[in-house]
Amino acid sequence: MNRAIVMARLALRNLRRQARRSVLTAAAMIVGGALLMISLPLGDGTHEDWIDSAVRMGSGHIAIQAPGYQASRKIEDRLSDSARRAAEAALETPGIRRHVVTVKPQLAIGGLASSPTGARPAQIVGVAPVAEAAFSILDEKVVDGRYLEPGDRLAAYVGAGLAEGLELRLGSRLVLTAQDADGEIAGQLVRVVGIFRTGVPEIDQALIHIPLNTAASWLRSGGDVTAIAVLIDSSRRVPRIRRALQRELAGEIEERSLTVMGWREAMPELDAAVKIDDLGNYMFQGILFGIIAMGIINTVLMSVMYRKREFGLLQALGLTPRQTGGLVMIEGLILTTLSGIIGISLGLFITWFFWRDGLDFSFAWDEDWTFSGVVMDPIVIPYFRIARVIQGLVFIFIIGALASLYPAFRATRIDVAESMKFER
Amino acid sequence: MNNKRTAAVRTDEVWKIFEQEAEEVQAVRGVTLTIEPGEFIAMAGPSGSGKTTLLNLIGGLTRPTRGRVQVAGHELTTMSNRELARLRLESVGFIFQAYNLLPVLTALENAEFPLLLQGLNGGERRRRVMELFELTGLAGLEDRRPGKLSGGQQQRVAVIRAVVAEPALVLADEPTANLDSVASDRLLDMMEELNRDLGTTFLFATHDPRVMERARRLIRLVDGAVAFDERHQPEPKR
Repeated sequence: MNRAIVMARLALRNLRRQARRSVLTAAAMIVGGALLMISLPLGDGTHEDWIDSAVRMGSGHIAIQAPGYQASRKIEDRLSDSARRAAEAALETPGIRRHVVTVKPQLAIGGLASSPTGARPAQIVGVAPVAEAAFSILDEKVVDGRYLEPGDRLAAYVGAGLAEGLELRLGSRLVLTAQDADGEIAGQLVRVVGIFRTGVPEIDQALIHIPLNTAASWLRSGGDVTAIAVLIDSSRRVPRIRRALQRELAGEIEERSLTVMGWREAMPELDAAVKIDDLGNYMFQGILFGIIAMGIINTVLMSVMYRKREFGLLQALGLTPRQTGGLVMIEGLILTTLSGIIGISLGLFITWFFWRDGLDFSFAWDEDWTFSGVVMDPIVIPYFRIARVIQGLVFIFIIGALASLYPAFRATRIDVAESMKFER
Repeated sequence: MNNKRTAAVRTDEVWKIFEQEAEEVQAVRGVTLTIEPGEFIAMAGPSGSGKTTLLNLIGGLTRPTRGRVQVAGHELTTMSNRELARLRLESVGFIFQAYNLLPVLTALENAEFPLLLQGLNGGERRRRVMELFELTGLAGLEDRRPGKLSGGQQQRVAVIRAVVAEPALVLADEPTANLDSVASDRLLDMMEELNRDLGTTFLFATHDPRVMERARRLIRLVDGAVAFDERHQPEPKR
């Protein structure tokens, strides 16, 4: 039994001796740890839901596009046919391919949609219907008619807001006008085959999907697209897959014929929303654990004051002041770490046992509530990650260490002779 | 045992002055003493005469206001707290009036604590402690916590703890004050035996006539100063 084990054993027995005090301190930490492990997976689940909705509606977890397209959104900044083929070949690389769920090419431009009753600005997207349906959730948002199908040519899938504004119904004709690849203004007649409603006004009032072939011949863009959107198996893998793609496409990136963007760069407002929400969560945890730390400082300090004679005795027997402080630290750390582990386990168990299929927040917001251009699903499914558990444990360990620091310092400053005085 | 030959205490004009409510209390006043290795000394004097303070100064538990203290050849006044702790661990054993056992440890664990701090292995620790438990009649009580031992038994465990690491010097502050006469005699027998067999130097602060009778040197403190210091043959045990 070496000295460290002796100290740990002494610390454990002291904690047991002061059972009531230890249990009270532990209870605070258990509640804190449990709340941490309830709120983190739920927060992460909410963010995953936002990200999933946004990447499916938008440019995917990873967008491969021409360098200037993110800012201009114009057809001049499109991927050439050869850049598109290089990107598609890179996505077939074994290390990348197994994480790719689906890929969709898009030819997206800003233009005008006109009907006999008027004209509205529109976001017109040429899509490959099968790839798009596998990727996007837009086909599920149909309220009338159907989504595009492979044989369609002059078909349009129109947002409900735009349809109302232009008084369009199924079968109605509308003319799309935009600048083509040669810089000329070109028009295209299409017919409404389906109307959708996402709940996001910006989308419902502007978005139109048409077949990619129709868009290519209308805009004279050949095999070019404005973006290749990639959906991968987990949003956490985005940085790794993005780096792998950048390695594969280093030549094209060097020539500035394409760029590889993660969802954080492609959708900065969503990135900001996730970070702000995380920050709010961390602040809440910080305040909660600050209060818990105060409780720990109080109980550990009380214990040090109550046991002055014992610490004096230990120093009389040959423990250095630093070792005496170390003993207090060990006590604090054992108490907080053990109770933190119990709290974390409890939180994980509660979240997994009661809410693994989703926690219904419909009492707080309804299905149509949107945030940062994303429809918020009131059913939040917790997202469990080992990294969060480790983060929680490290956080609790740090809180335990910080909270034990002052009482430990006080233990090092004990006046040994004074503390050993016999009460006559 | 190797430091036994060099074990000695030397105090040179040692003063300890406390500030109490803006008043100066001179607890120890210019004490100069030399204690040879293997001595068995009783330090007597009324309450407040400075016995405990002098023991604390010699044990390095408190620092003198003026003067010098040497233990086993080490100058205590220039040592850091860490060095003092090391010296206590290796060369000084303490016995207190209030026993001061660690309540969370068993009798055996309390007794072997200094050896644990010194890093001795389990077998050697147990051998040394059990030898002393046998010698002091504590065999069979090893696993009891202090709360389950009588006062005499607790004090014997405290004595074993003080001597088990074979320090050069044992400082005992009123070790028999809370014991009945039978327990006191037994304890003193034991310490005499250790003094005789191991050559350990004992310095007692005491009011107890039994301790003074058995001591081979008697120092009397009055108002923090040495009033009387004489070596004598102890009276035969009654």
